[in-house]
Amino acid sequence: MADALAAMLSFPPDNVDKLSPKDYDRAMHAHMKIMDKTTQWTKPVDKQNILDLLNPTLNSIPYLYALIEHIKAAGKDKTRLDALLDRALIFFALFDPVQVRYVGASWVMVLGWVMDRLRAPAIPNLTPISTAILRLDPTAGTFTTNHLYFLRACLSSAVPSQALPILDKNIYAFPTIPPKNVPEDLLSEEHELSNAFITTKNGFTDKVQPDLILEYYLLGAHVYIGQRNWTRARLFLESVILTPSQQHATSALQVEAYKKWVLVGLLAEGKSYPLPRTHDTVVMKSIRLVAKPYDVLAEAFEKREWRKYQAEMDVGAQVWHDDGNLRMVKEAGDALLKYRVIDLQKTFAALPVSRVASHMGFTADATLHMVTDMIRYGALNASITPGSTSGEAVLRFHSTDVGPSSTVAQEGELAAQTKRIEDLVTFVRDADRRLQLTKEYVEHLKRVKRQGTGPDGDLADQMDLTWDAPVPGQDDGDEDIMAA
Amino acid sequence: MAANGIAAWPAKKMKLARSPRSGTLQPPTFDLDTWAGNYDGALLPLRLAHIAIHCPPLARQSLDLAISATKKGKDVQLYTRLCELAGQLGFQDLGAADQDWVGKQEEGNKRELGRLEGELRGYKNNLIRESIRMGQEDIATHLLLTGGPLPDPANAQSLNSSGYNAAYQAFGRMRDYCTTPTHIASMTLRLIYTASLQAVSAQQQHSSALPYFNSVLANAGRLRSVGVKEEEQVKLTPIASAAAGIAHLSLGNYSEAAATLLGTPFEYNTLGTVHGADFGKAMASANDLAIYGGLCALATYTRQNLVDKVLGGKFRSFLELEPHMRKAISLYTTAKYQACLATLRHYYSDWSLDIFLGAPVASGVRAGTHVDRLFARIREKSITAYLSSFSEVSLASLATTFPPSSASPTAMEDEVLGMIESGILDARLDVVNGILIAPRKETRSSAHTEAKKTAAEVERLLLLRLHKVNVAMAGLEIGRAKGSSGWESLSAGNGGY
Repeated sequence: MADALAAMLSFPPDNVDKLSPKDYDRAMHAHMKIMDKTTQWTKPVDKQNILDLLNPTLNSIPYLYALIEHIKAAGKDKTRLDALLDRALIFFALFDPVQVRYVGASWVMVLGWVMDRLRAPAIPNLTPISTAILRLDPTAGTFTTNHLYFLRACLSSAVPSQALPILDKNIYAFPTIPPKNVPEDLLSEEHELSNAFITTKNGFTDKVQPDLILEYYLLGAHVYIGQRNWTRARLFLESVILTPSQQHATSALQVEAYKKWVLVGLLAEGKSYPLPRTHDTVVMKSIRLVAKPYDVLAEAFEKREWRKYQAEMDVGAQVWHDDGNLRMVKEAGDALLKYRVIDLQKTFAALPVSRVASHMGFTADATLHMVTDMIRYGALNASITPGSTSGEAVLRFHSTDVGPSSTVAQEGELAAQTKRIEDLVTFVRDADRRLQLTKEYVEHLKRVKRQGTGPDGDLADQMDLTWDAPVPGQDDGDEDIMAA
Repeated sequence: MAANGIAAWPAKKMKLARSPRSGTLQPPTFDLDTWAGNYDGALLPLRLAHIAIHCPPLARQSLDLAISATKKGKDVQLYTRLCELAGQLGFQDLGAADQDWVGKQEEGNKRELGRLEGELRGYKNNLIRESIRMGQEDIATHLLLTGGPLPDPANAQSLNSSGYNAAYQAFGRMRDYCTTPTHIASMTLRLIYTASLQAVSAQQQHSSALPYFNSVLANAGRLRSVGVKEEEQVKLTPIASAAAGIAHLSLGNYSEAAATLLGTPFEYNTLGTVHGADFGKAMASANDLAIYGGLCALATYTRQNLVDKVLGGKFRSFLELEPHMRKAISLYTTAKYQACLATLRHYYSDWSLDIFLGAPVASGVRAGTHVDRLFARIREKSITAYLSSFSEVSLASLATTFPPSSASPTAMEDEVLGMIESGILDARLDVVNGILIAPRKETRSSAHTEAKKTAAEVERLLLLRLHKVNVAMAGLEIGRAKGSSGWESLSAGNGGY
């Protein structure tokens, strides 16, 4: 047994820092061979639990294997399971992200088990899961089913905000089968992007299905709507709506996303968002056919016709209720009133509340109350000078240009934005590279070459990976290539 | 026949506009007799009728002039219409039509038409193109002078070939027999004149004049490139641009009207008779053009353009004819808006009594005339320009500089609000203190905001594209529903084919 322990501890060797990725990979494979043969995970060594002897950071693989066997052995013994949960949590906080790349399936298995255990308490704390996912892949940008399961767990445990660390990361790739005929990257190498080691092959994800992706984005949008983060909500909903389909098939999830998208637009900007330029017109037509009531609602909203909106709202109450959008529709109704006041500041600098009231069709008291609320919640940059009656109080709009929040803060914001776009450039370049390795692209190249209509006919030019900033609104080449 | 003629007309008689505006104009600054001496042709009685309808103090005098002028001509229909109008306005003595003259003239007209038609048939048998052309021209001119045939009450189609329409069509028939560009030019001139007549009489009968002005415009365009010799063309070009300018004005395209009229060569004033007609007398004098062009330019040009193109350009010689127009424009360019508007208002009556400027903008009584519309534009422009030099202006001082047109206490406020809402004026109103506040431009911060917005938009678009490409690359496109694959893939509606 001591031999087994020695074998477990044999990796990493002392000179691990000096190993080239290739040597590391070779050593790891040898190590794995031994580990796969080892069976005595649950037997104590020198009367000590094997898990106490292993360091989860250095000996991540044996620790993980031992953990699995212990869990299997524990059966339904609650105290033992609780103890194991603690160990698993320690493991997920400390594991070596490079080592576990070789044992994806096992890692996912334990992650799932922990997720189930964590959901049990009344106020669950699911943060260890997001920490673990981020430890494995700090960008969390390769979509795995773990993302979705975790999101579902957060929502069903009523702690949606705990999903944010994962949701806030942009998905930049889906796990794919690594292309053939291309020398495979070593798992041990330092990868800029995680899609090099999270593939369909190595067990980090179940089979990804289109509907799982749609579900992830739609649920994510729900979380952001709850957070009042309209920008992210819009992005997620548009991702659902724009997901390409075969032969213009339309998913019910897309319809649902569209309905929410319309409402989010009304809440965030006071009008519907413009349709994304790259939408599939046929899909959009079928979506709008089903989501007609929402378009009508949006029309009344944009014309700032509150009475009509109210009437539409009442008539369609059952529809909103069945769609689960009743609260949002009502909230949009309140927002409509606010926008009517906000619209006033384009024309007026100051006016008595009685005029606002007559514009709104409310009593002066109700108007004063509403406007005060709006100012308090920061929806309106204005102040109120009280008068002897509510109607005589004066509403004074401040300059519409909100003063700069301070140059320093702005600089920070700009820097963050720049960073985000730079990251995106990396993602796009990688997608470009992957695209050029697909069969379709090679065929396209062949065809172009045969016809002699390529840019220069020079292959090297087309393999150029430089990336120019896209002009917003213009199709970038990627999609053309796919369309070709 | 005479009785029949009157009976057929009621539907199209000159109606008295029942709006409060009609008949309320002050007497103009000009003397009616001198003024009437500036014009001749078939438009003169129509001009006088326009004055009679809109200006009660001059109604009797102008009708008197109109009826006696008509009686010298051959147009029986116009005569009876004017008599009716006189009756409606309460001048029974003038309204009594001279039935003897009517009967005799009608008979004569008919005989003359028959004679001309017979001659034309003769020419056609002889196949001499020039004779045929002249024969057609004679008939057309006769139709124009006599007002054309009456419409057949039983046949709605006949409206299209009655009245001045008949003359227009007859002139058009000359085209096939024209052999030289000069012939074409002469025909086009007549077409322009006839179409203008059609337009004016349509306006007075409260029907749409748009098609007629459009044909004026088209013919004026043809006149510019008719292909005659250089020395002939210099006589035609002024007429073409004057006619096009008037048509633009009447169609409500004031900026085009300004551009066209400003481009009219001043030779217009000294043209005299071209192809048998003095356009200045028949359509619009150079003085009229000065007014039209000046007003349209004032309403649509920027201050700098007014200085460069109107006061400094060749249009200045037109403006010398109407010094008060020139004065108004220079007042505007030196930012003396109040004085400018006062000058314009002084001539409001004169211009409203002009047959083109005083015409309603659209068919419909409440739409106001072109003068009203132009004045409103100039006023709006003046207010905007006035405010541009202040950051805050009180409504009271605004009202002293620009006295509001109505007496309502909120007139100024309503006007300003209307301007803000239609986007003409970029300012905000402080109702409590009655102050109009110009927006402050925070260039720096707005540039920042703009940049951030663009960056966020780029980010969003990139992410969406990336998503699309990724989905396609991983082969994860939404597939067709396969029946039992769960609630997620319920295909909504008939997505495919």
